[in-house]
Amino acid sequence: MRWAALGAVAVLLALPVVPGLLPSYAVTVFTFTFFYAYLAQAWNVLGGYAGQLSAGHAAFVGVGAYTSAMLALEAGLSPWLGMFVGGALAAGLGAVIGFLGFRFGLRGFYFVLLTVAFAEVCRIVALNTEAVGGALGLYITFTGNPAQFQFRDARAYYYVALGFMLAGTALAALMERRRFGIYLAAIREDEGAAEAAGVPTFRYKLLAMVVSSFLTGVGGTFYAFYLFSLQPNSVFGIPLSVEIIVRTVVGGGGTVLGPVVGSFILSPLAELSRFYFAEAGWSGAHLVVYGVLLVVVVLFFPQGAVPGLRRLAGRRAG
Amino acid sequence: MAGGGRPAEVRLPEAGALIDATLIGQGLLNGVLFGGVYSLMAVGLTLIFGVMRVINFAHGDMMVWGMYLAWLLATRLGLDPYLSFVLCAGALFALGVLVQRGLVDPIVDAPHEMQILLMLGVALVLENSALLAFGPEPQRVRSSLALATLWLGPLFIDVARLVTFLVAALLAGALSLFLFRTDLGRAMRAAADNIDGARIIGVDVRRVYMAAFGIGAACVGAAGALTSPFLPFTPALGLSASVTSFNIVIIGGMGSLPGAFVGGLLVSVAESLGAVFLSSSLKELVSFSLLILILLLRPAGLFGRRLA
Amino acid sequence: MITSRIDRRSFLRTAAAGAAVAGFPLPLGAQGATVKIGAVHPVTGALAEIGQACRLGAQMAVEAVNAAGGIRSLNGARLELILGDTENKPDVARAEAERVINAGAQLLTGAFHSGQTAAMVPVAQQKRVPFLIDISAADPLTANVAQSVKKGEQKVQYVYRNFPTTRMFGQRAVQFMTEIFREAGVQPRRVVLIYTNDLFGQTQARQFQAAVKERNPGFEIVESIPYPENATDLSTEVTRLKSLRPDIVAPVTRATTAILLLQELARQRVEMMGVISPGTPGLYEAGQIAQLKELIEHVMDNVPWPNFKNPRTRKVAEEYAKRSGGKTFDTNSGYSYEAILVMADVLERAKSTDPEAIVEAIRTTSFKDGLMVATGPVTFNEVGDNPNASTAMIQILGQKPVVVWPAEAAQQKFVFPRPGR
Repeated sequence: MRWAALGAVAVLLALPVVPGLLPSYAVTVFTFTFFYAYLAQAWNVLGGYAGQLSAGHAAFVGVGAYTSAMLALEAGLSPWLGMFVGGALAAGLGAVIGFLGFRFGLRGFYFVLLTVAFAEVCRIVALNTEAVGGALGLYITFTGNPAQFQFRDARAYYYVALGFMLAGTALAALMERRRFGIYLAAIREDEGAAEAAGVPTFRYKLLAMVVSSFLTGVGGTFYAFYLFSLQPNSVFGIPLSVEIIVRTVVGGGGTVLGPVVGSFILSPLAELSRFYFAEAGWSGAHLVVYGVLLVVVVLFFPQGAVPGLRRLAGRRAG
Repeated sequence: MAGGGRPAEVRLPEAGALIDATLIGQGLLNGVLFGGVYSLMAVGLTLIFGVMRVINFAHGDMMVWGMYLAWLLATRLGLDPYLSFVLCAGALFALGVLVQRGLVDPIVDAPHEMQILLMLGVALVLENSALLAFGPEPQRVRSSLALATLWLGPLFIDVARLVTFLVAALLAGALSLFLFRTDLGRAMRAAADNIDGARIIGVDVRRVYMAAFGIGAACVGAAGALTSPFLPFTPALGLSASVTSFNIVIIGGMGSLPGAFVGGLLVSVAESLGAVFLSSSLKELVSFSLLILILLLRPAGLFGRRLA
Repeated sequence: MITSRIDRRSFLRTAAAGAAVAGFPLPLGAQGATVKIGAVHPVTGALAEIGQACRLGAQMAVEAVNAAGGIRSLNGARLELILGDTENKPDVARAEAERVINAGAQLLTGAFHSGQTAAMVPVAQQKRVPFLIDISAADPLTANVAQSVKKGEQKVQYVYRNFPTTRMFGQRAVQFMTEIFREAGVQPRRVVLIYTNDLFGQTQARQFQAAVKERNPGFEIVESIPYPENATDLSTEVTRLKSLRPDIVAPVTRATTAILLLQELARQRVEMMGVISPGTPGLYEAGQIAQLKELIEHVMDNVPWPNFKNPRTRKVAEEYAKRSGGKTFDTNSGYSYEAILVMADVLERAKSTDPEAIVEAIRTTSFKDGLMVATGPVTFNEVGDNPNASTAMIQILGQKPVVVWPAEAAQQKFVFPRPGR
């Protein structure tokens, strides 16, 4: 464990220096890795710690992204502020979904599908609402003005994304040891027992949902202003939700480092397999490889990478 | 001048003005006929979930493979999909057993989310290997029935869909006979009810699991082959087929066979009528709204007995 | 595990090579120098068929340019494609744009889907890599950049597009339809527009509606029926369409739903003068024709199309069919092919791979050897679009798509109204 901690600290110290040393493509890969690690961390609060699997987190990314983009385009509000408005609206949506779902006692697969359904409803509504651009979506002009959350130098996005990831991870670490985290873990392990022991399960699950959707919604602004256009299918779609979940689960849900490790495993792997097979010209082969890798990870680390590695380290030490 | 000279009836202000009894009747009929396919897809999913508590996220992709197998058999051997669906079901049975034995079995006790992840990986592999093998162009299987229609007064019945509907109903019926009348079927039901209890009374759980996954995959493989004459397909079709199956299963009640069957019809009819009454692009909204309503009002589903 | 190690090693090797290229421009005076072009298309996912057509078109164009001696003003420098896949996702499009630039791409082309193209635009602007969009519908892609340059927020526009704007599609559709009806001596009055509710369908539908309103032809759109993009059943939509007694059915579809729609129209025996699309894929591909056989005969489609009166186009189309396993050289493969030809012309005149010199050459383009039906040479206006890019009305006749209008590009006379069946 000590080696792992030292390694983590070394990586942490190295990260700010990296952009100066690497080609810009690698900087972009890192930027996405951080960003997805942040989203995965936000999901971790609800899906990892509280054990409530949401497969509709794309809805919060979408609400956050559309809100800050609309505010910037229509009202000229800086995305640095719009980000929090977007987060608040996403949290509002999260509260509604959470309230309905938890009030009616939906668990496991039922909750998964409730969240998918809400995300799909958001997607279809956005597709059919001309005020937000319909299927054509929103297009943000690239100006490179930092006050508008835009940067001429791609490395700036790297630092912003790194900041997001570190803040999210710090929050998770902070939360894990307080009552909030302990209650959530109790709910995940055995909700009935937690209830019996006096944990107000409904309130804490709802709180987890609100925190998680707020953080995800804030992340939406980064998505909008890094990719410069929003379409309902890409921000509200199921594939984005899957991207988020996969990272947490591969790394290990309910651990502070799980989402980060998962993202650092999967994002580069996706790039490498695409890169390798793009040259060969076999369309689709890289996604087959990615799929196989997911299966392999599950079979070898059925609890996720972080708990799995911890166990390996423990065995070696013992 | 072109605007002024035309008779007033040309300008139809509201879609509502057009909705007449024929249109509603036809919508209902279309919905029911297409519903047979939905039902068969959902029956497969609910069987796997009911017995194993595993959600098959690769369900839609397995269906797509059923379609491509039917296509191969039709183009290479000239077999009509209404005959070759038996072979497709058999092949998918084998695939289902393989996935169960090789992948699901080792992690059957792992957390929920790991199983989801595993099946997502399988889905990716299935979809993209189909892309590699068959290319991205939409395919359709030729069947002698493809364009045949029957007319019932002002309403028409698409013969291919009628046959598909009947075969699907027949298969669902055969499956319930199997579950109620054979030892293996009874064992599967016992396992679905209470896995520990089933173990105690000596049920071979591994065999039951294999059979459940195999039969579930066979159902969706047959559904694929049976729809291939009228539903053009590409490798990318899988995801939306999976999501539709999930909706139906929840609406009908997880793990309930009659629920899956009725749910399939219900969702299909609701979508079809949605296309009559709403703007058609909103018809997707109908099934998701239905899902949310069911989840909130009767989370066990229409035919479900309890929550998982 | 072994594969992943190989991946990493080759990744590092190539990344290092890419860095070398990006950091230290090779002297182009040397024989055997290459100009690298990043071609990023959605070759997997739901748009895979189109993306693969674009890719093959671009690859063949590069081979043709090289076979003809490369870029003469750069000592016969050869073109080299660096291929990228957007996976039909905007974030992947952005990463891929970065990757191909990093691997040395000095020019960019792509990406068919406007959302994915939009994600590549800022990369091109940041990295100062001239980006010639081969295909993408949304107007803001170029207009936004032009506006930002005008306001002084950015110095140079690196993003240009050689594809008809969406407005052009609608205007041409109405114009061609009016002219064809006049020539045929008939006056259809009731048009039902049925379209896939995705980015492309919505845009096309709106522009067609706007053009009908503006030009006031003898017909009107009595109803617009959008359907979900991944619809698996259109029987009820067609029942509703039939009850509207249309003279013309105007579809905007994707390949899969085109099959569904034409099947249903036949099955429900919808009586009409013809199917005429304001512009859509799904109604001309060889695979579609093979699927639909007689059902697709006489269908018309207003699309950007290769000019088969040009012998060079015919030769390319023949080779394309050979290389693609019998596919049609069409809108997508055609415009991706032409984008490379335009780039070669630009490089020839720029006499350099310096981005500013390339941009300067793009702005003064007047390229007459294009392969597509157009109203004039390829040029770029103040927004960065090609105002001469156009469409043609094609019709499936004898199980082949042929240009039937405008008259000067027509390969055959149209058949309208379609014969009774």
